[in-house]
Amino acid sequence: MYLSLDWVKDWIKLPKDLSAKQLALDFTMAIVEVEEVVDRAANLQDIVVGRINEIAKHPDADRLQVCQVDIGEKIEQIVCGGINLSKGMLVAVAKPGSRVKWHGEGELITLAKTKIRGVESSGMISASEEIGLGSLFPQKSDKEILDLSGFKVKVGQNLAEALGLNDIIIDIDNKSINHRPDLWGQYGLARELAAIYKLKLKEYGTFDLKGQSEVKLKVTVEDKDNCFRYLGLAIKNVKVEDSPWWLKKRLEAVGIRPINNLVDVTNYVMYELGQPMHVFDAKQIEDSHIIVKQANKGDKFVTLDGENRKLPDGSLMICDSKKYVALAGIMGGQNSEIGTDTTEIILESANFKATNIRRTAIGVGLRSESSARFEKSLDPVLAETAIRRATQLVLELCPEAYVASNLVDVDNNPFKPITLEVPEQLINNRFGVTIPTAEIKDILQRLKFDLKYKAKIFTIGVPSFRATKDISIPEDIVEEVARIYGYDNINFQLPKVTISSLQASEEHAAARDIKTWLSLSQEYCEVYNYPFTNQSWAKKIGLDLNNHLKVKNALSPEQAYLNISLLPNLLARAEENIRWFGEFRIYELERVFEKTNKSIYHTDNTRKKFLPKQDKYLAGVEVSKKNPPELFLATKGLLEALMEHLNIEVSFEPIRLEYGTVVYNIRYHDTDLGYFGLLDKSLFDSGDVKVNVAFWQINFTLLLKYINKAKRYIPLAKFPAVYRDMAVVVDANLLWADLQAEVTKVSTLIRHLEPFDIFSGTGIKDGKKSVAFHLEFRSHDRTLLTEDVDKLMEQILEVLKKKFKAILR
Amino acid sequence: MEKKLQELKKRFLQELDGVKDSRLLFDLKNRYLGRQGELTKVLKEVKNLAAEEKPKIGKLANEVKNELTDVFLKTERIINNNQGTTLDFDPSLPGIKETIGHLHPSSIVQYEMEDIFAQMGFGVYDGPQVESEYYNFTALNTPNDHPARDSQDTFWLEQGLLLRSQTSNLQVRMLEKYGAPFRGVFPGRVFRNEATDASHDHTFYQLEGLMVDKNINIGNLIAVMKSFLSEFFNTEVDVRLRPGFFPFVEPGFELDIKCLICDGQGCSVCKQSGWVELMPCGLVHPEVIKAGGLDPQEYSGFAFGLGFTRLVMMRYKIDDIRLLQSGDLRFLKQF
Repeated sequence: MYLSLDWVKDWIKLPKDLSAKQLALDFTMAIVEVEEVVDRAANLQDIVVGRINEIAKHPDADRLQVCQVDIGEKIEQIVCGGINLSKGMLVAVAKPGSRVKWHGEGELITLAKTKIRGVESSGMISASEEIGLGSLFPQKSDKEILDLSGFKVKVGQNLAEALGLNDIIIDIDNKSINHRPDLWGQYGLARELAAIYKLKLKEYGTFDLKGQSEVKLKVTVEDKDNCFRYLGLAIKNVKVEDSPWWLKKRLEAVGIRPINNLVDVTNYVMYELGQPMHVFDAKQIEDSHIIVKQANKGDKFVTLDGENRKLPDGSLMICDSKKYVALAGIMGGQNSEIGTDTTEIILESANFKATNIRRTAIGVGLRSESSARFEKSLDPVLAETAIRRATQLVLELCPEAYVASNLVDVDNNPFKPITLEVPEQLINNRFGVTIPTAEIKDILQRLKFDLKYKAKIFTIGVPSFRATKDISIPEDIVEEVARIYGYDNINFQLPKVTISSLQASEEHAAARDIKTWLSLSQEYCEVYNYPFTNQSWAKKIGLDLNNHLKVKNALSPEQAYLNISLLPNLLARAEENIRWFGEFRIYELERVFEKTNKSIYHTDNTRKKFLPKQDKYLAGVEVSKKNPPELFLATKGLLEALMEHLNIEVSFEPIRLEYGTVVYNIRYHDTDLGYFGLLDKSLFDSGDVKVNVAFWQINFTLLLKYINKAKRYIPLAKFPAVYRDMAVVVDANLLWADLQAEVTKVSTLIRHLEPFDIFSGTGIKDGKKSVAFHLEFRSHDRTLLTEDVDKLMEQILEVLKKKFKAILR
Repeated sequence: MEKKLQELKKRFLQELDGVKDSRLLFDLKNRYLGRQGELTKVLKEVKNLAAEEKPKIGKLANEVKNELTDVFLKTERIINNNQGTTLDFDPSLPGIKETIGHLHPSSIVQYEMEDIFAQMGFGVYDGPQVESEYYNFTALNTPNDHPARDSQDTFWLEQGLLLRSQTSNLQVRMLEKYGAPFRGVFPGRVFRNEATDASHDHTFYQLEGLMVDKNINIGNLIAVMKSFLSEFFNTEVDVRLRPGFFPFVEPGFELDIKCLICDGQGCSVCKQSGWVELMPCGLVHPEVIKAGGLDPQEYSGFAFGLGFTRLVMMRYKIDDIRLLQSGDLRFLKQF
């Protein structure tokens, strides 16, 4: 939305010493953010009105002419290639130093005094596009010079001043005024400026008009739920032509291209009041009958821009007795548009339900200036003001025209007047500062609220232009007062609080602890991934995409499924990093999403339905040059250390997975917490580098339940331990875990057992292996004697012989 | 005698200072401290002194002897330990470091923010990312067809579910669960269905804050934000509020900080305005308090939504947001 300072001067007189920059800042601080301040005259600096006194042929170029141009302070010689030059013609002269576009194209360049084919030339006689005025003065050819002869301008005068283009435009982000339907027109903006600068605001006016019954205009609103008000008026004897300069200039200032006087009037009123309008060629409206109703399912309609559009269900249409003539509130139809031969028109000024317009506009894929305004919930009162104003303008622009029908008004305005009771205390409490009562009253009156004050309560009548959705509760009034009073006047004060019992999140503390542990002690790098699963890896590790939650409006098909495991993305990242690193460890802790299981989170306050399960998982991948056994044991060691860190006693059991070679699950009693293993290398593309890949994944949400903070110290040993080693030859496939279990069973005096050398080959029979291990013996109540330990060693060997046919080495 | 001792001491120390190797050191020792050394000679003379002078000078002589011996031994150790440079290794080689992993830069910044808020009594909470329309929008006073839903392009799933577009989805959940008074922050990732470029990603991180208690006002909000930001940026930060519309706050604000690069003078970072837009915030809308099961007559509160991915980028001068989710270890190993 553009605010034109020239335009709002119709109703307010801005302080003389107010700079545009200050105004933009004040606007930002009290109303909405200003994006940019544009001084329209800035690009017309050093461009002046000149008169061509003499024209001579260029001695060396057929298409160029040498002109003597009076630019006020002196006569300049300028070489020009224009085709419409004539003696006495008033032109725009860009002096050396001014900024222009060559032939209306490319970047602005700075003009300099030069010689053209040997002839001195001081500046440029400009075409409209060369000085950024192409939309106000459309060029018929690129050699056509801007002719100012029809304007009352003085030679030597700055062009912006001469044409009244010295306007300042305040650019406001449309998104920031979504909630303010009243700020979509110049008058509403003027009203806010009047409020912040305490200015007198001129009434907009009522624009009386006299109805006639020559045309029997009829309006039938069938869909009252979506059309809150519809006003129509027929005017005859109009003449379609270019708009006058003052009107063009204003439309251009707010970014609208002038088209013809009738269309321009509707746009002018829309930009002035915020009320969109439409004008029909009355001869195309059958029976002078306007009907407002919903489109039939599946129908199509050709809009003004020539597009044949499929109408979404529920589209509200403006029709005559036979056909659709406009897509309500969005765009008119080609079949009834104004042409050069139009002589009779019907003006439309209506109010439609915001949500209907919004849905249809989205559905049909057409967001127009009109629909943008209707979507904001416009004030139905505006519709009448607008049609009266537009009629006045049409009659002004077409002196022959006359009103040919009565002003037809079908009014189903559903908005009730709003009255709010606002305790003075509420305003001060929320603001945190006591604002004098008189100041509150003054601010609210400046904002055009109707006001009564009794027993420290304000009874506030909300004006209709703020009552359609913007202001509805007392807190809205707090904001109104506060923003005008100024947020700069707030006392910064830390809140006085009640200390309540802490509901610290253990989950969060644990996550942070584990991440820190992995990153700062285990050489693992934390990775953040998107929630969308890598589908190729999901398939490789046997995940069925049908079990994934699907994004309906995915950015791309690759980003359509939500993770049910963190591994696909981690493995993909691992594959990418191979290019740069031969060995690395990465992990992620995030939520994964299950399609069928339910979470503990309810979907609404009825607490009957629950969201999909979305536990947090912790997963990692190690890419390593270690051999597979080493890598497997390193990964197992990591998980053992992690579980020790968390004080959770887990066990590991072998499982089979299609994508892993050795895979174990991680169990706490009967609960599976996760799994780890070595990846089938054929799945992983590591280029020329030879690596092994380990993976692990734990359900962190589940793990959390078993983290045990209760830790008790073990008293330090009072008696010394005895250390021995033993080496036995056993079957090659005997598991250490089995051997360890049998040895440990022999006596409670055996405190610790640790393998240190396992080998087969030289000196060991086929199918056998040598296992050497350290043993620690200790008693809690006496010093063990050599004989005690010897005896235990014998017992151990006996057991190993018996159970595993072990032979002592 | 006393003068002689002082002079001797001075000379000894001067000479010692110039000694660079053990040969000269040995020589020096002999000349002063040896059996025939100058100091030894002086000490021997003590016994010839008058009786009344003997204790005083004797004491001084001993002190000088001890001092010089100490200084000598210290110098001797230094010279011997560093003798020659015949080391059997090159100490100028790079140090040997234990390799460790790295936290993600967003985690580092997030934890720092949490700690600051924790000191102000804000708990840290978390919640669902696959969310219902109710908690992401409706309960936040943003009914269906509200234009504000437009400004947050949302990823939709089946059955009206969505990927949360804001951490505000936890506001009503937390009020339902914990009631009032409540003070908490909710960091986490959020999702918007928009095309990505160097400064936009469809997945990014927010830290939502919510405080609900009796008589919470705008001044409280600014004071808390100012405390937080000053601590976070480790310098006194000036803030300003200006109007901003978000359906779940009333009044609603944009909070700007005075540009830390130019100190408000205007530069390219703040687009010459002197201020940098940092976060939307406001007083909690009565409808939201109500949705949380509380009485808006009794309770009020403030909420803010800090997009901290931007803070991470500011802190580390990261110029492409997509690096954060790239999993590229060349990037991640820098933190």
